[in-house]
Amino acid sequence: MPTSFFGWIQLLLDKYGTLFLQGAGVTMLIAVVGTTVGFLIGLLVAILRTFPLKFTAPVWQQGLMHTLRFLLSAYIEVFRGTPMIVQAMVVYYGALQYLKLDIPALSAAFLVVSVNTGAYMAEIVRGGILSIDKGQKEAAVAIGLTHWQSMTSVILPQAIRSILPAVGNEFVVNIKDSSVLNVISVTEVYFMSRSAAGTYLKYFEVFFITAVIYLILTFTTTRLLRLVEKKLSGSDFYTVYGSQSDHQVQIQYTREGT
Amino acid sequence: MKKLFVCLMALTLLFTAAAMAETLKVGMECNYAPFNWTQAEGSEFAVPIAAGGFADGYDVQIALFVAKELGMDLEIVKTEWDGLPMALTSGKVDAIIAGMSPTAQRKLTIDFSDFYYQSDLVIVVNKGSQYENATRLADFEGARISGQLSTFHYSVIDQIPGVIKQTALADFPALIVALSSGRIDGYVSERPGALSAMRSNPNLTFVAFGDGDGFAVTQGDTDIAVGLPKGSPLTAKINTILAKLDENTRSQMMVAAVERQPLSE
Repeated sequence: MPTSFFGWIQLLLDKYGTLFLQGAGVTMLIAVVGTTVGFLIGLLVAILRTFPLKFTAPVWQQGLMHTLRFLLSAYIEVFRGTPMIVQAMVVYYGALQYLKLDIPALSAAFLVVSVNTGAYMAEIVRGGILSIDKGQKEAAVAIGLTHWQSMTSVILPQAIRSILPAVGNEFVVNIKDSSVLNVISVTEVYFMSRSAAGTYLKYFEVFFITAVIYLILTFTTTRLLRLVEKKLSGSDFYTVYGSQSDHQVQIQYTREGT
Repeated sequence: MKKLFVCLMALTLLFTAAAMAETLKVGMECNYAPFNWTQAEGSEFAVPIAAGGFADGYDVQIALFVAKELGMDLEIVKTEWDGLPMALTSGKVDAIIAGMSPTAQRKLTIDFSDFYYQSDLVIVVNKGSQYENATRLADFEGARISGQLSTFHYSVIDQIPGVIKQTALADFPALIVALSSGRIDGYVSERPGALSAMRSNPNLTFVAFGDGDGFAVTQGDTDIAVGLPKGSPLTAKINTILAKLDENTRSQMMVAAVERQPLSE
């Protein structure tokens, strides 16, 4: 048996290297699927909640709208207010025990992480939408776009650009919080580390390796998201050809700040 | 994206249903050598875990024997300790063979078979500590002792007169770290676990007690038995199967498991 700290790390990597990598793969898969689907859920919820309801609309429409708003608020409160570990246990074990529905561990993991992230994303997107000038919506309405069209073509693209740092945050949180899913038999990297620790009875060495793995995963993700942000920002310089007073002129714009 | 997800879920449900034909699903943590552990390579004794890796250990060998006698295939479902009872009552696993003892509280929710191992409680201490040569429980007066969370190891600590009972810790590696760093003076363990701990942490040793000097435990507490759902038809069958393993065979299986564990390489 090795005696030094790095001797143990060498041994653990030799024996458990493949299992650590498998666990890391599962962690990333759950985080990517959960954040992406959660993001889409958040966008959908935001569009539904900001639907403009004319007070001249028929009563059934108003009733429907209010019920929908209530349900969406309830969804957000419940899924933000309960721990993900509890949600995971309820979905995985409760579904089988009370609904006789056997959901495989990984599917349950995707479901829980997506729905949980969706609740947080709904509020993040709402914040992004609030930060967009009201004039944008008014202009969109003025040129005859429906609510859906104005949202997807005018408001949301601008909102997404500004909420990307918060989305990146959620992504990183998901990568690390996927560790709670070990209670529903998902063998992600934290559960694998507990196996390695339980076999060799060494905590520091094993969890040093785990910490490094998580760091690599989150660092890569944040850098990639930075790249996406840069892409969305467009180029630093752009040229406008022609103006109302002089058709031949070229005006160069430099975007201030990034 | 959503359609693909729904199709994938439907497919996985289908495959799960098909595979449930004649398989005995056994839940264990695979994190507690030499009873059950996870290893990366296969061997003639190891059973593959669906999620990756192979499981081996005393519990795995018992599970293999039971499944063979029942004429079923064995599937190991690696589940975290706190999720095991839920996995059993909801039907995710058919049996728990995870070094679990049939305590009175557990018997309220699940049934247990006859024991397949009887543990021997010891206290692990640092080499060179004042408790190294203790022989009776009373020698630990004033010591800070801990045990694993949600196990009967933690509840027996109260039997030591004048003990300073520390908070329970999640698993054995955590207890070893606490002991090595000096936060606690000792922790309660079973003998095979203590032997394993000494292999990777040569600064530890354990104190075993003679008859009558050690912890007073009811038979049920120190037994290790198979956990089964309430009223399961398997209970009687498994009892008959376990009766075929005599004390000698069981000790040999445990010794073999201790030899095979990765720590012994």
